[in-house]
Amino acid sequence: MSPLRDRFNKFVGKTRYVVCRIFIHLAGDEVAPMLGVLNRAAREAVDSEGDLNTLGEGLVDICQNLIQLNTYWRSAANEGDFFWEEGEAGDYVTQLFTDSAQRYRSEPDLSAKDEELFLPATPNLVVMITVAFEGEEPDLETDLASMEALEAGLKTLINLHYQQKLRAIQVHFSPARFGDELTNDQLLLNFSELIPL
Amino acid sequence: MLRKFIALFISLSLCLTTVACGSTTTSSTSQPNVSTNTAPPSAKLTDGKYPVQQATYNDVDGEYSLMLLDTPPGSPPVFRTTDLQMARLTDEEIENGAQTYLEVNGSQKVMHLTEDFKIEYVHNVTEVQTNPQTGQQETVIVRRESNFWAPFAGALAGQAIGSLLFTPQYYVPPVYQPGSVMTGYGGYGSSYNTAVEQYQSRYNSPPPAVTNRQTLRTTGSLRTSPSSTTTRQTSTTTTKSTGSGYGSSNLQQSGDSNSTKKQPSFGSGSPSRSKSGFGSSRRRR
Repeated sequence: MSPLRDRFNKFVGKTRYVVCRIFIHLAGDEVAPMLGVLNRAAREAVDSEGDLNTLGEGLVDICQNLIQLNTYWRSAANEGDFFWEEGEAGDYVTQLFTDSAQRYRSEPDLSAKDEELFLPATPNLVVMITVAFEGEEPDLETDLASMEALEAGLKTLINLHYQQKLRAIQVHFSPARFGDELTNDQLLLNFSELIPL
Repeated sequence: MLRKFIALFISLSLCLTTVACGSTTTSSTSQPNVSTNTAPPSAKLTDGKYPVQQATYNDVDGEYSLMLLDTPPGSPPVFRTTDLQMARLTDEEIENGAQTYLEVNGSQKVMHLTEDFKIEYVHNVTEVQTNPQTGQQETVIVRRESNFWAPFAGALAGQAIGSLLFTPQYYVPPVYQPGSVMTGYGGYGSSYNTAVEQYQSRYNSPPPAVTNRQTLRTTGSLRTSPSSTTTRQTSTTTTKSTGSGYGSSNLQQSGDSNSTKKQPSFGSGSPSRSKSGFGSSRRRR
């Protein structure tokens, strides 16, 4: 989209929609408890039938926990776009959901039953956060593949919730729960855009 | 080139501001409403005025369906849209015998109503039920109720808002109540979103058409009850690990299946990642 058209739309007072997706890859033995935070937020989201306010509170919780674990961040990536038409933004959000979802297996593999008493802590954890919001946030609309930028971006996400600007929230995470593993090979294969921090 | 353009732009903006200052009645209608609501109409109607025989509002998706008269050959008499502005007929128009009509002007659709025109309001009673086959919870429409909604009946005449009634605005119906005819509005505004915001500040929750648009999507085993036995995944053999995801959005979908995948305009990815529209070649990841 040409910058001239953007400027004209801004001049006319059209609503600007930004859709962005952030990948954060954490590694280390201490990251497994993060799965608890993620699953709790997911359960609350399902219980509330997708109420955006509840999802936003879950997102704040996730972002705060991610910021606390910033020493375990290994790599990150982000992408996004902005739109002047709500329909286009909605389509993009749907596309991103499908794209995020195909990076992991959503059906638990029940065939491989293994009765072991100890559970391995996953070496890797990837969190994908997609949001759509109104307005403009320079902190999110940049390259977030650095420690400082990513931290600023996550803080901006928290602020956006309290400013009630969020129009869509998606959170994906892999592995699904404590006891499942995301190996380095799987990480390379499915999340190739990650850039080491 | 740039200088030429700037000159053109300045003169254009000057024109725009003069027009905006000149006639106050048109400025409120022409400017902001084009952006928000972009559901594609069921069929293109050529610009013009069409008498409205009957109007129905469905609160499950906020869609109006209008039965029109005098439609040109080739276009169906039933017109469906979610993007409809409404205005009251002025007294002079009524004296001249004007009836409720729909005015189509490009993407702008305005229904001019007489004071006592009633829109049929279809209310969908939804319930969360557990699907016996999948064990998942889903929202289903259990029954439909029908009532009438008269946006401009009584009440508002003579109020300060009076002059606003005649300019096209977006209206959100009031909260559904069975029995008597519903009058007035739940919210109004020059864009659909401002109307929704007004409704929300009044009733503390968005109108049903918006809450129904808010869709929850989940993946993984989030919806199924968690199993008590945790099985260890021997995931080293598979190419993908397990995962879960959830998302909710109240953005509208454009409904276009041909929306092109664009290159992300910002992000960390290298710009060489080409995304083809369709085809068998897999996206390089």
